[in-house]
Amino acid sequence: MNRLAIGRRAALLSGVAAVASPSVLRAQADPIKIATLTPLTGAGGPYGPVMAKVAAAVVEEVNAAGGVLGRKVQLVSEDDQTNPDAGVRAARKLIDVDKVSAIMGTWASAVTAAVAPLCWESKTFLCTVSGADSITLLPHQGYLVRTQPNTLLQVTRAGEFLLSLGAKKTYTLVPQTPFAQRSIEILAEVSKKAGGGHGSQIYDDKKTTYRTEIDQALRFGPDAIFCAGYTPDTIVLLKDLYRAGYKGKILGQAYAVNQKLVDQIGQNEVVEGVYTFAPSVAEGSTALERVKKMSGLASPDPYTSQVYDHTNMVLLAMAVAKATTGTAIKDNIRKITQGGGKPVDNAVDGLKAITAGEKVDYAGASGPCDFDDKGDILDCKFRYEQIKAGKATLVKVA
Amino acid sequence: MTILLQALLNGLVSGALLAVPAIGFTAMFAVLRFPNFSVSGIATLGAFAGYVAYAAGLQIVGSLAVAFAIAGAVGLFLDRTAHMPLVKQGALPAAIASIASGLVLENVVRLLFGNELRGYDRPIARDLRIGDIRFSPQQLETMAIALAIMLAVFAALAFTRIGKSMRASADNPELAALKGIRPQRVAMMASFVGMGLVGMGGMLLGLDSSIDPLTGTRILLSIFAAAVLGGLGSAPGAVLGAFLIGIAEEAAVLAVGSAYRAAVGFFAILIVLSLRPRGLLGERAF
Repeated sequence: MNRLAIGRRAALLSGVAAVASPSVLRAQADPIKIATLTPLTGAGGPYGPVMAKVAAAVVEEVNAAGGVLGRKVQLVSEDDQTNPDAGVRAARKLIDVDKVSAIMGTWASAVTAAVAPLCWESKTFLCTVSGADSITLLPHQGYLVRTQPNTLLQVTRAGEFLLSLGAKKTYTLVPQTPFAQRSIEILAEVSKKAGGGHGSQIYDDKKTTYRTEIDQALRFGPDAIFCAGYTPDTIVLLKDLYRAGYKGKILGQAYAVNQKLVDQIGQNEVVEGVYTFAPSVAEGSTALERVKKMSGLASPDPYTSQVYDHTNMVLLAMAVAKATTGTAIKDNIRKITQGGGKPVDNAVDGLKAITAGEKVDYAGASGPCDFDDKGDILDCKFRYEQIKAGKATLVKVA
Repeated sequence: MTILLQALLNGLVSGALLAVPAIGFTAMFAVLRFPNFSVSGIATLGAFAGYVAYAAGLQIVGSLAVAFAIAGAVGLFLDRTAHMPLVKQGALPAAIASIASGLVLENVVRLLFGNELRGYDRPIARDLRIGDIRFSPQQLETMAIALAIMLAVFAALAFTRIGKSMRASADNPELAALKGIRPQRVAMMASFVGMGLVGMGGMLLGLDSSIDPLTGTRILLSIFAAAVLGGLGSAPGAVLGAFLIGIAEEAAVLAVGSAYRAAVGFFAILIVLSLRPRGLLGERAF
C-alpha cells in the first residue's frame, strides 16, 4: 500500500514539474501545429481519409528533412462529417484547443462557408477545395485561398461541354447548397446565349425518391440534365431517371458520379453514357507522381492533389515569413506560389531553396496554384469522362 | 392535371412505406407513454439487418423478418436498459435518452459497415405507364408488402389476446392491470413489435433507394409528423397521418419546390398542435 502511495505522489510531482517548467523552454520544443479538416464521413467520405493521409505524408517528409524553421511540424486531423455543424465544432477545437495556424482541406461548400468566419476572426489560415462562388466573396481579409475552380468557371465549362454535345435545352437538378442558385444562373446564361433554354429545380437531398421532381424536369423536355448533387442523392436521381425512361444526356460532377456510385447502383445500363466533369489534376507533373506514391492511388482525385498543395504551400509560406502564424501565411503565400523564382513541387526542396536565400515558385499536383486577390485560382484544366459499361472512360482534358 | 395525379400516386407510395414505422412509433407511445426517438437508429439497424439477410440470399419477405427480429430485439433491450428506467421521471428524460440511444445505434452501424452507401441488389426496371401516369412495378410490390404488414398488425391488434391486452393497457393501464393483464409483459411486447415495425420500415424505405448510417435520421421527422398528425397513440391515425404526409411532401414539390419538403413535416406538426393537439383521430389506440 505504502509503495503505491509513494508511486502515485512521485508521478504527480513529475507531472507538476512538467507543467511548471518555463514556457519559453517548452516553446522551443513545441511543434508547429497545422490541421486538416476533411470529410472522413458523409457525402465526402470517399475523399477525406486519403486527403488527410497525403497531408500527413507531406508533413512526415518535411519533419524527416529537419522541419520548418528548425521546428517539427505536427498535423492534427479532424472530421467535418460533410456537415456544417460538425465542421464548426471541429474547427473550434482546432483553433481553441490545438491552436493551429492553418486549417486545410474543407470539402463541402456549406462546411467551408460555416468554418471560414471562425478562421478569419482567429487569424487562422484556411485552404479549401470547395467551389461555391460565395466562398471567396466572404470578407475573409485574405485568410482564405482555394485550389478548386469556383462555380462560375466550373459551370461555364460544363455548359460549354453540353453545347459541344449538341444539348442546348438544359435542366439543372441541384440540392440546396451554397452553389445551387449560382449554378442555375450560370448554366441558364450559357444555354440561352447559344439559343437554347434552361429549366431548374432545387431539391431536398434527404428524400428517398425523386419521382415527382423528375416528372417536373421531364415536362420541360431537356436535351441534357445537369445533376449537380452529391453521391447519395445522385444515386436516387439516376435510378429514378432510368425508371422514368429518360433517354437524353446526363452530366454530373465527377465527385458525385464516381466508381462508388456505379458500384452502388449495381446495374450498368442505369449509368450508361452519363458524362462527368472535374477540375483536372496536373497530369504529367512530378508533383502528381509524388501524390500517387503518397496516396497509393494510381489516379489520385483532385482533392487529394489539392490538399497536397495546401500542405506544401502553408509550410513554404511559413519558411519565407520566418514566422508560423496564420497572418504570416496570409502575407506570404503568394510570394511562394507566383511571381517567378525557382520552380518547386514539394516543400522539402522549397525549404532548402528558401534557406539558401532563393525565391521559389510552387506549382503542384492540382495545377499552377496561382491566386488572385480574392483567393481564387487563376487557371485550371477540366477532365471530361463518360461512363461506359460501368467504367469511366476519358472523353477529353481541356 | 396529370402531374397532380402522378404526385398523388407517388405520395401514396411513399405514404405506405412511411406508415409501417409510424405505426410502430405510435404503438410504443400508446403503451410506454413517451416518444421513442431511437426509431432513427432502429430504422437504420433494420435496414442494415435486412440488407445483410438479403445479401445472404434470403428473399424480401425473409429479409423483412430478419429486420423485424433484430430491430425488435435491440429496441426491446434499449427500452429495458435505457429508456424505461427514466419514464418514472417523466416522458421528457426518456425521450432525451432515446435520442441518445438512437445516436449510439447509428454509430454502431457506422463502425460495423462504414459510411458507404449500400443498395439492395435489386434489379432496377423501367416504369410501366397507364396513359400519362407512370408507376414502378417494384414500388407497387413494396407498397403491397407495406399494406400487408399493416393489415397483419391491425388483425393482431383486433383479434389476438396480446393485441387486445395491448389496446387495453394503452387505454387504461390501471384497469388493465386489475383485469389481470401484466403491464410489464405488454410493455415488452409493445417495444418489441413497435421497434420491429420500425426496422421493417427502414428496410422498406431502403429497398428502392440506398442505405447508409443516416437512413433512419432522414425519415425521423416524417415518422414523427405522421404520428402526431394522426394522433399520437392511434395506429389508424398513424396510417392516415403517413399517407397525408406522403402526399403533402410530394405535392409540396409542385407547389413550393422540393427544397422545402422538410418544412412540410414541421408545418403539419405546428398546425396539428395548435388547432387539434390530440391529432386527427385522437388518442384511441385502435
